[in-house]
Amino acid sequence: MTSHAEHVNGELPHEPEKATLEGRNKVLGFWLFLGGEAVLFGTLFATFLALRNQNNEGPTAGELFSLPITAVATLILLVSSLTSVFAIQAMHRHNVKSLINWLIVTVGLGLAFLGLEIYEFYEYIVHESFDMKTSAFSSAFYTLVGFHGAHVAFGVVWIGILIGQLYRKGLNVVTAPKVYVSAMYWHFIDVVWVFIFSVVYLLGKVA
Amino acid sequence: MTANQQSNEVTVKHRHRPEGPEKHILVFIFSIILTAIAFAAVMAGGVNATFAVILLLVMAVLQVFVQMGYWMHLKDKGHLMPILFMIGGFFVASTAIVMALFWVWW
Amino acid sequence: MAHAHAHGHSVKRYTGLMDWITTVDHKKIGILYLLAGAFFFGIGGIEAILIRIQLIKPMNDFVSAQVFNELITMHGTTMIFLGVMPIIFALMNAIIPLQIGARDVAFPFLNSLGFWTFLFGGLLLNLSWIMGGAPDAGWTAYTPLSSTEYSTTRGVDFYTIGLQIAGLGTLIGGINFLVTIITMRAPGMSFMRMPMFTWTAFITSAMILFAFPAITVGLVLLSFDRLLGANFFDVASGGNPVLWQHIFWIFGHPEVYILILPAFGIISEVIPTFSRKRLFGYSSMVFATILIAFLGFMVWAHHMFTTGLGPVANALFSIATMLIAVPTGIKIFNWLFTMWGGQIRFTSANLFAIGFVPTFVMGGVTGVMLASAPADFQFHDTYFVVAHFHYVIVGGLVFGLFSGLHYWWPKMFGRILDERLGKWTFWTFAIGFHLTFFVQHFLGLLGMQRRIVSYLPNQHFDTLNLISTIGAFLMGVGVILFLVNVVLTTKKPAGVANDPWEDGRTLEWSIPSPPPEYNFKQIPLVRGIDAFWKEKMAGNKGMTPAEPVGPIHMPSPSILPFVMSVGLFIAGLGFMFSTEDFSNAFMSLIFNKYIVMIVGLVITFAAMVARSLYDDHGYHIEVEELEEEGKA
Repeated sequence: MTSHAEHVNGELPHEPEKATLEGRNKVLGFWLFLGGEAVLFGTLFATFLALRNQNNEGPTAGELFSLPITAVATLILLVSSLTSVFAIQAMHRHNVKSLINWLIVTVGLGLAFLGLEIYEFYEYIVHESFDMKTSAFSSAFYTLVGFHGAHVAFGVVWIGILIGQLYRKGLNVVTAPKVYVSAMYWHFIDVVWVFIFSVVYLLGKVA
Repeated sequence: MTANQQSNEVTVKHRHRPEGPEKHILVFIFSIILTAIAFAAVMAGGVNATFAVILLLVMAVLQVFVQMGYWMHLKDKGHLMPILFMIGGFFVASTAIVMALFWVWW
Repeated sequence: MAHAHAHGHSVKRYTGLMDWITTVDHKKIGILYLLAGAFFFGIGGIEAILIRIQLIKPMNDFVSAQVFNELITMHGTTMIFLGVMPIIFALMNAIIPLQIGARDVAFPFLNSLGFWTFLFGGLLLNLSWIMGGAPDAGWTAYTPLSSTEYSTTRGVDFYTIGLQIAGLGTLIGGINFLVTIITMRAPGMSFMRMPMFTWTAFITSAMILFAFPAITVGLVLLSFDRLLGANFFDVASGGNPVLWQHIFWIFGHPEVYILILPAFGIISEVIPTFSRKRLFGYSSMVFATILIAFLGFMVWAHHMFTTGLGPVANALFSIATMLIAVPTGIKIFNWLFTMWGGQIRFTSANLFAIGFVPTFVMGGVTGVMLASAPADFQFHDTYFVVAHFHYVIVGGLVFGLFSGLHYWWPKMFGRILDERLGKWTFWTFAIGFHLTFFVQHFLGLLGMQRRIVSYLPNQHFDTLNLISTIGAFLMGVGVILFLVNVVLTTKKPAGVANDPWEDGRTLEWSIPSPPPEYNFKQIPLVRGIDAFWKEKMAGNKGMTPAEPVGPIHMPSPSILPFVMSVGLFIAGLGFMFSTEDFSNAFMSLIFNKYIVMIVGLVITFAAMVARSLYDDHGYHIEVEELEEEGKA
């Protein structure tokens, strides 16, 4: 348990996350959880779609959104999804150093995304007087995008803690499923954002 | 090392060559292109609204499809249950979307 | 070092109360669910009796209109979310791992977490009685009635936050059972060899997974409207109350199938056992269960026919609803054909199961009547609807639960419930039930609306309401008889045989009652449907083991699930009272500045981090200990 070197001596299988029943259960259980999350975000999207034009004399989507900023946010999250793929590939090569590095890049990109989102919300609230109470549209917007943002924030903290564990405990059949599952979570967040970008921001400009 | 004592034994499979990053980068480029098409169509302006909706949704769904297939490994074997339950989740989510579009305002 | 952890008994074993708070054993968690469920079922039952006392005669003033609204709201909410759901989970926890030949569930820690979040959510909801008023907007909490404008107490906040926390526990439990059933089945037990109760638990868990996130969102929206000034359902600011109805029922309709499917499963175990015949049409039963679950997600708007969705939507949802009668009918006929030609034993468990069939058919028939949209305009919000859903939930689910409790009690506690008292329970409860609810069909057809606090005399309501109240008391007697039975049985010495009914068909009857903490000394090999019965018919004494005797790995007990749930409880209270006007400066500070909420969340997250950082090595039960226990 001194360093991670001894865990990378070739005894780990190619996919250490699936080496134990516990690991396989964790991965499967997390998939099911994501199925539930699909309904959660689906219902939030439904709420947003139902209320998207109810601006109550406040700003409309077309007046409010700045597409270049959200396009940059989209790019950041997409790249972070790719870097977490690289992290898992490094894990499958049992290269803990590379794994940790890619996770750090992923967390960094997640923080950048969060920064942009906080900046965006700040602008809306302070300069556009568009807050939770403005209209049904504003409530739906902040709840949907805020739920996604909270997921990103949770993911950043979670992956951050996993990085610490990888430093201390190395890669083994206990840590591997955790890393794999957090990567699944991160991809799912990216998938949700693809829909948010398309449905909330881009369609907001069209309609 | 600790987990070797777990109830279930660690099954060490024969080593196969780890997959390279190439196809994941392709998925990334594909996603970027789809996003760019959607983005450009809206920024250019003057696009027919119905056409834009269809275009954006197709771009988003395609992108999600390849990302879930490749990045989340749904295309690999042994993923029957995850696929079934993701389809279930998306199905129930889609009923909520249909509700929002057709049965809230009249 | 890890070796010492895993093989030595360095893991702390708690006793007494700490044992129950820290347990991750699914059988103990099952008992906890049963206790908590019985507690809330009792509260919900008392609320029901108070409602019926108020309605015993015209223009009664036993309770005020406000208290009456609180009673009906809390009766519905408590019974569904906190009464019957946990008793279903109790039976699932106690029996499912045994039926599939597993030593444990997939996620013992999460199983415990699911229980404690449910319990603290339920306690939070019921605290409303002593903290300024219970929710009063009906169990459906329709807006705008549940908005701050019309529901001015904290009641609805207790509803949103309490159900949010309890619902989280249910979702966790659902995922746990799905994974358990997918990955932990004994060798040879294919999906199509699973006992029907396991199948229905599987499908119910899948429905929980897809339905509960919808109510999570709904409750978030409602609590944001009430506590953060959001406008989802506020017409003046562009919101739409119909949206709440949709979201509630997108969850709510699947929820009623989540409730009834396990009852179908219980009946499908009890009837074959006491008919000494295999279940008729097993594969059609599986198919029907899946079809009911699928259709269950496509019919939610039949609760909203009178909202004004228009003829197209009403027709669609009307047809989809009627379609559900087909798979349900398949099930009814299969039960009848299972009994046909069987050697039927009228044990109390079987009485409830057989009583279930006609009672549930009556509820189903009124269901098809309600599915007809034009007719529903007459039935809507009358006692006809009340009669219908009590026929399916009490006559269906509660009969099923009583059947399952009598049937599996010896497996859970090692003692058979007294059969004489059990039969008394059945007859008083069943007769009381029909007295209470059969007449309510006619009350509804005569025009008595649901949820009214009183009615004028001489509208033909008087006698029928009196009969209904008498019936409710008789049901109460039935429940008390059951409790007496439980107390008397608990005083009897434990130690019934592995297979006390002698006709047990499934794996749980092949191991001791109650089972040891590892369930199976050796995982059994399953050679067909009704695995244990098959071995008995082949003249074998027990199951053929699929593995040699070896050390058994067990998960460690943990206090963390309890701590996480306490944290959520505190955070919930903090969020709820964040808009309260306190006259006390200190209270204003800690609540209005969200300090209490943050403290609660910090407790929960700290426990989550602790869980992540410290690996649970568990411990092993060694072969020598297994042999010793085998001798004793």
